[in-house]
Amino acid sequence: MTDITIIGMLMEHWVSIIGIILGGICIAVGVHFVPVGGAPAAMAQATGIGTGTVQLAAGSGLTGLLAAGYMYMTLSAAGTPGISEVILICATGAVGAMIMITVTMLVGNWVYIYGVGVPPASAKVDHDPITGDSQAPYVAPGTVGQGMPTVCFVSGAIGGLLGGLGGSLVYCMLMWVNGDAAISSIFAIGVFLVNAVLPSYNIQGTIEGFHDPKFKRVPKAVLACFIASLLCGIIAVIIPGMSAFGGV
Amino acid sequence: MSEPAETANQVDAKGIVVGLVGIYIAGISGIPYLAFLAGIGAIFATKMGADAVRRVCSYGIGTGVPSIGMLALGMGIIAAMFGLAIGKMYKAVFIGPIVGLVLALVIGFVVGSLTNKVIKLNIPVMERCLTEIAGAGVLVLTGFSVMVAGSMDFTVIVEKVITTGYIAPIFILGALGILHPFNASLGPDETQDRTLVHAYSCGAIAMVIGGVCSIAVIDPIAGIISIVIGLAIWYATFMGFVRLVKRDAGAGYVGTGLLPPGAM
Repeated sequence: MTDITIIGMLMEHWVSIIGIILGGICIAVGVHFVPVGGAPAAMAQATGIGTGTVQLAAGSGLTGLLAAGYMYMTLSAAGTPGISEVILICATGAVGAMIMITVTMLVGNWVYIYGVGVPPASAKVDHDPITGDSQAPYVAPGTVGQGMPTVCFVSGAIGGLLGGLGGSLVYCMLMWVNGDAAISSIFAIGVFLVNAVLPSYNIQGTIEGFHDPKFKRVPKAVLACFIASLLCGIIAVIIPGMSAFGGV
Repeated sequence: MSEPAETANQVDAKGIVVGLVGIYIAGISGIPYLAFLAGIGAIFATKMGADAVRRVCSYGIGTGVPSIGMLALGMGIIAAMFGLAIGKMYKAVFIGPIVGLVLALVIGFVVGSLTNKVIKLNIPVMERCLTEIAGAGVLVLTGFSVMVAGSMDFTVIVEKVITTGYIAPIFILGALGILHPFNASLGPDETQDRTLVHAYSCGAIAMVIGGVCSIAVIDPIAGIISIVIGLAIWYATFMGFVRLVKRDAGAGYVGTGLLPPGAM
């Protein structure tokens, strides 16, 4: 264990740093796709899911991580996963996160439609870019839309895909470095939270999806998350797993 | 927001000094019965984080207060584990918490600068508050981890806190202690002493749960000492919180039932 040095770890694991940065950027872009309505949406006064970005990103990201972790466990039984296995693991994580976010939106829409009694409608566009349905007549006066119309639903599913993909990629990269599922998952959560909160400041808490004018702010979040992920990646790959210390 | 009774520098100094002293006594002494001191250090660090959240969130960050608490622990977990691992790599376990703290302050400052300069949130206290919040996050995580494991050794903490999964309650309860006090107390009549006494009681709850975890990990008696001390701190601070709520209730208060005459 005397040969573990900071420079050595950095030289050996530069690929993992790049993977962590890519994962962080995926998470940052994914946050912009998820229709987050915040507190107004919880009162059916704004389009989107009625909670904050961080809760949604953390929820879908952690579901994705669980799916990815299970897949990693299954695939790594045959040896250390290579590139093709990593792609499979990331796909599993992406699907896990998509399932979580789409179920949230579907059940949320049931509550808005049958419970609150409002039609899903977006206030940011006149016609739904996907179905072409007219939106303005259905927006209740004094509100900025309600529920999840088709375009928000599709956008949210894309957001879940990117979030799950990014989270799983960070997890795989950390597993390559330290080979310890517990350390890797808790670190992936840390990197995930940093990369989910920074974009949520960028959209100032609410966004409807890719049709929202705020979506044009994506480059700023990508730049911020690139720097933040680089910093997190450099630190994370220096930490060796238990096996390097001759432990368990 | 009324005039603060304690300035930011006083809260930071107490949080860092008490936090580090508690962690070091509990980690270096090797006596499991002193592990609760790390929990007390973590409670003061929780208060430091809650005060920083209070200052930055009074500007209105648009995403809700919880986001910043989760950011704190996200930055904190990476820095805390890095510090402990560096201590182990260079065979100097005692440098761990200091390295983690310094690194967290750097990450917090960088993320705060990114928020202001790149994302252009333009909150004047953002850099300073995110630096403090990241520092508080690392001290809370290190403090409760050392309390549960009874040691500052990276391998012991990985084996007894992370692999067992006890890091999850520590992570979430630590974040709650930092984000919840201001989230619960915010509004035009928010006062610093009420928010901060609430931070103590949230930290004490985390300490009680950490004590329950450490029963299985280190020594049942050490765990029970942590639980009893945590419960005592929680009772004292929560009663103090209720007293301050009654003090700040402008229109008077009733235990239950209709509002008193004159309050409507």
